[in-house]
Amino acid sequence: MPIAPKPHSALLIVGHGSTENPDSSNPYFDHADEIRRRGLFAEVHCCFWKEEPSMREALYMIDSPDVYVVPDFISEGYFTQEVIPRELRLNGPSTSVEGKTLHYCLPVGVHPSMTGLILRRAREVAPEVDPSQATLVITGHGTGLNQNSTKAIRDQVDQIIASGAGYAHVTDAYMEEAPFIAEWDRLSATPTVIVVPFFIADGLHSYQDIPVLLGIETETGPAASQREVFRHNPHHLRDKTLYYSSAIGAERLIADVILDQVRDFDLAHRSAAAV
Amino acid sequence: MSIASQLHDLVRNGIRRIGEIEILTGLHDHAYVLCHYLDAERAADEGFGGLAVHTGAADARALSIHAADGSFRFIKAQVNLKRGWVLVLTDDEELRLALDHFYPAAVGLELARRKGVLEVEHLRDKLNRQTGMYRYARTISDEGAQQLVEQVCGPAHNCARRILWQLDADTPLEDNEASRYNGIVGDLGESHAIPLLCREACNHFVAECRKAAKREFDAKQARQEADG
Repeated sequence: MPIAPKPHSALLIVGHGSTENPDSSNPYFDHADEIRRRGLFAEVHCCFWKEEPSMREALYMIDSPDVYVVPDFISEGYFTQEVIPRELRLNGPSTSVEGKTLHYCLPVGVHPSMTGLILRRAREVAPEVDPSQATLVITGHGTGLNQNSTKAIRDQVDQIIASGAGYAHVTDAYMEEAPFIAEWDRLSATPTVIVVPFFIADGLHSYQDIPVLLGIETETGPAASQREVFRHNPHHLRDKTLYYSSAIGAERLIADVILDQVRDFDLAHRSAAAV
Repeated sequence: MSIASQLHDLVRNGIRRIGEIEILTGLHDHAYVLCHYLDAERAADEGFGGLAVHTGAADARALSIHAADGSFRFIKAQVNLKRGWVLVLTDDEELRLALDHFYPAAVGLELARRKGVLEVEHLRDKLNRQTGMYRYARTISDEGAQQLVEQVCGPAHNCARRILWQLDADTPLEDNEASRYNGIVGDLGESHAIPLLCREACNHFVAECRKAAKREFDAKQARQEADG
């Protein structure tokens, strides 16, 4: 269902960003540009943890008294449950901060519509592969800082299995906790394996760290904009055929998921009149 | 009054620079033309003096990502903006959006300062709210933090922001070039430039605090071991 225009509200997209990788914040700005073009909000802005504007400074950019805050993050975890509420001083679904009302939506990665995007990305990267002969691996970071951070990926695995997409095997895997992505060949029962990174940006993790863990690269290389890693599919290694896709968050349709989260927030927390 | 309208009034009343950006009005019949301030004279020539012509606010982001040497400008107040271009903008809202790409939130921060509603966060408050790997930054000594301001901030270290924060409400920064800097690039007064404001220490500074705190801890350990 399309979202109704909100001419008196601002949309604030919150991203991680990077001080090392110039490509890291591209998807957030791309998503903001896409939503801005649709003219649904009075204004659309981005803010970041590692780049500028910071979350606290972002409020000074906003005219509208009503602000939807959508974490363009992949899971509910350390950032969405601790860092963003702390930095924006949120204390519930809607919080009054410096004369504005901030509505805190769920992160894009936990929305059910992400399942379709993952399947689409898997088909795009390996169009000739019969799913019934392949293992689909959804890979993320994993962290000891917050136990929820892997839940979004586990949920996606369950939903893909339930969707009838027909993959022989679907599994999650992580950089820093078990099951480890470095052991992708042992996690995969089939000779063909498709790995989709469940990250927002093609930053250090999806473009540099995971290719090394997979064995595609021997050492971390330059940033995504300077390389063509994803065009070398398939990779033949460890007696398997491996397809590696770019990060799911770089998908243009994430703009729709951001809007889905705004609509779901209204349905859950605001009166019909406000929706 | 919207930020874009207030920005319009500021420019009409003489503001023509923010950071390294020169704001040109009425040039070749365009509402606004932005360029590096050192290219301003050239931009006024016929055909923008041969400078590369960009249009639309989105190009501001592309122009601001890398310095001329290719380095990533993750702090947008770095004094190393590329030269050789002009950016043509059609209206006040595009100007606002473009400036927010070049210097995120800087216009809004200055407008808040002028109204007396800018909330400044002192360093101890900023450090004390850090979690995860940056929690350790809060252990830095006052002396270490004062030294870091001199070693990390200000134009000598490639940052054009005016520091508004103190160590805490009772402890101002020591007087030095970084703490004294007014946030205006080039030789212009406040009536002609929007200063770049630093209302709280940036994440780069917090990361440096963490490293310095670790060095202080290691040095203390070494002293204790040496003392037996």
